[in-house]
Amino acid sequence: MNNDRLEKILLYIFLTALLILWIAPFFIVILTALRTQNDLLTNGVFSIPENIIFDNILNAWNKGNMSTYYRNSIVLTLLKVPTGVIIASLVAFPLAKWKFKFKEPLFILFLIGLAVPIHVTLLPNTITLSKLNLLNTLPGLFFPYIAFGLPMQILILRGFFSTIPNAFLEAAYIDGASEFIVYRRIMLPLAKPAIAALVIMDFLATWNEFTMALIFIHSEQWKTVPLGLMGLQGQFSSNYPTVMAATLVAIIPVILIYMLLQRFFVTGLGGGIKG
Amino acid sequence: MDFKKRNMSLKRLLFILPALLIYLVFMVYPMVRSLIISLHKWDGLSPEMNFIGIKNYIDFFKDPVSYTVLKNNLLLMIVLLIVPVILGLVLAVALNKKLPGRIVYRTIYYSPYVLPMVAVGLIWSWIYDPMFGALNSILKSVGLGQYVQGWLGQPSTAFPAILVTIIWRSVGMPMLLFLAGLQDISPQLYESAEIDGANKFQQFIYITIPQLKQSFAIVISLLIVGSLKQAFGIVYAMTWGGPGRSTQILSVWMYFNTFLYEKAGYGSAIAWIMTIIAMLIIIPYIRIMTKNT
Repeated sequence: MNNDRLEKILLYIFLTALLILWIAPFFIVILTALRTQNDLLTNGVFSIPENIIFDNILNAWNKGNMSTYYRNSIVLTLLKVPTGVIIASLVAFPLAKWKFKFKEPLFILFLIGLAVPIHVTLLPNTITLSKLNLLNTLPGLFFPYIAFGLPMQILILRGFFSTIPNAFLEAAYIDGASEFIVYRRIMLPLAKPAIAALVIMDFLATWNEFTMALIFIHSEQWKTVPLGLMGLQGQFSSNYPTVMAATLVAIIPVILIYMLLQRFFVTGLGGGIKG
Repeated sequence: MDFKKRNMSLKRLLFILPALLIYLVFMVYPMVRSLIISLHKWDGLSPEMNFIGIKNYIDFFKDPVSYTVLKNNLLLMIVLLIVPVILGLVLAVALNKKLPGRIVYRTIYYSPYVLPMVAVGLIWSWIYDPMFGALNSILKSVGLGQYVQGWLGQPSTAFPAILVTIIWRSVGMPMLLFLAGLQDISPQLYESAEIDGANKFQQFIYITIPQLKQSFAIVISLLIVGSLKQAFGIVYAMTWGGPGRSTQILSVWMYFNTFLYEKAGYGSAIAWIMTIIAMLIIIPYIRIMTKNT
């Protein structure tokens, strides 16, 4: 009994020490973002701010163009995430439930994408996009983003669809339902937990994507949040409070979504991957 | 089951086509095209491309910079396979107990994993700042002033500083996957082990570890592939491969050559070297996945 208690106390000490290390960078961001540069440089990052100010955040939002980057990221995310998940679910249905020629090779073709580093596609996609007049536009990000989301989404949705009993489908087919009705009325509703997890994970991936945005977007007006943040660092380099304020603004949406919907992360990452 | 064997009609093809088309145009075709470019000497712009066979690949292995790059990637992979895996496993086992407040711990350990890489890089650049950064401030205040230094400005500390950043970001992922794996282990296994007189440590070695085999496979593949793909934003934001070439990694080096040095053929060869490494690692993972579903 005593041993058990000691074990528990030691465990808590270990977990809490690590917790402090893990949460400290977030505190540093907040402590830097909400004070003046002068206050920071005279009193140091760990002191209590003399005054809590929001000027840096407004500065990042207006002068730092964060408002533009936000608009672009929101538009892109709202269009890309649902479209991508729907397209993935459409193809995951046949891959899970139909028999047809080339079904296995098709599935493997999609799975290979899990291994492809985006870097290998950057230059050819730049050429393709410029031929399609999509370079330096949001649609120019939309299509490659969809392509890169597909492998994981197809893997997870196919796994999920496979667990739906064939009897459900057969009953519908006997009643004369079309494939689309079966997909829409049986597969999608039953896969809701997986779809919710995928939408959330894809929101994060899309909001955070940097590499393709760096290559495909050049003008200020179409930059997404991570790309804009990077540029802002160049513009305000030694103005730490403004850079950290911009960082804070950039991460608030992902932190909020994560905090509010984290139960989906466990099912999405753990359960989902295992199908 | 008759319904499965109907022929592929146009209507049914519509389920497959949108995904397949986008995937072929923006993923499969670029891969092939990149392979072709990697066999040429090309600046990336001019119409003139000279076929040179595998010379770009040979040049890569002749260039001393490549060894810094490969060494950094290897180091990154090894460190990621040791620290986040062990720490993630320890945290998962600890948080699998019915401890009060465990959700708070879990939430915070995982939280860096949801951040944009660029943000992670900027946050830690500020922590490592030589003049006013948090790390040097802490060192000064605890009397370790002699260790105050420009962490990202010198080759000896820049890459280790990046590794610490990536560890901070990564630990939550294995933790969460191991937690999910642990919850699938039947308590009966432990009960019968207890009856047989196995202690906690033996139970961990002979039950927990083998039962987590699948979680290990997923964690290891994700970390290895992640080490190739995901460090890009962090290195880009923190050091840009510098000082000198000391923190250069494959993905950033590929970007430099292709888009900054106008060596598109050479850059594409580096990209393909990355792809081959990733493929070799992911194939066992794909086999586990297809066997399972």
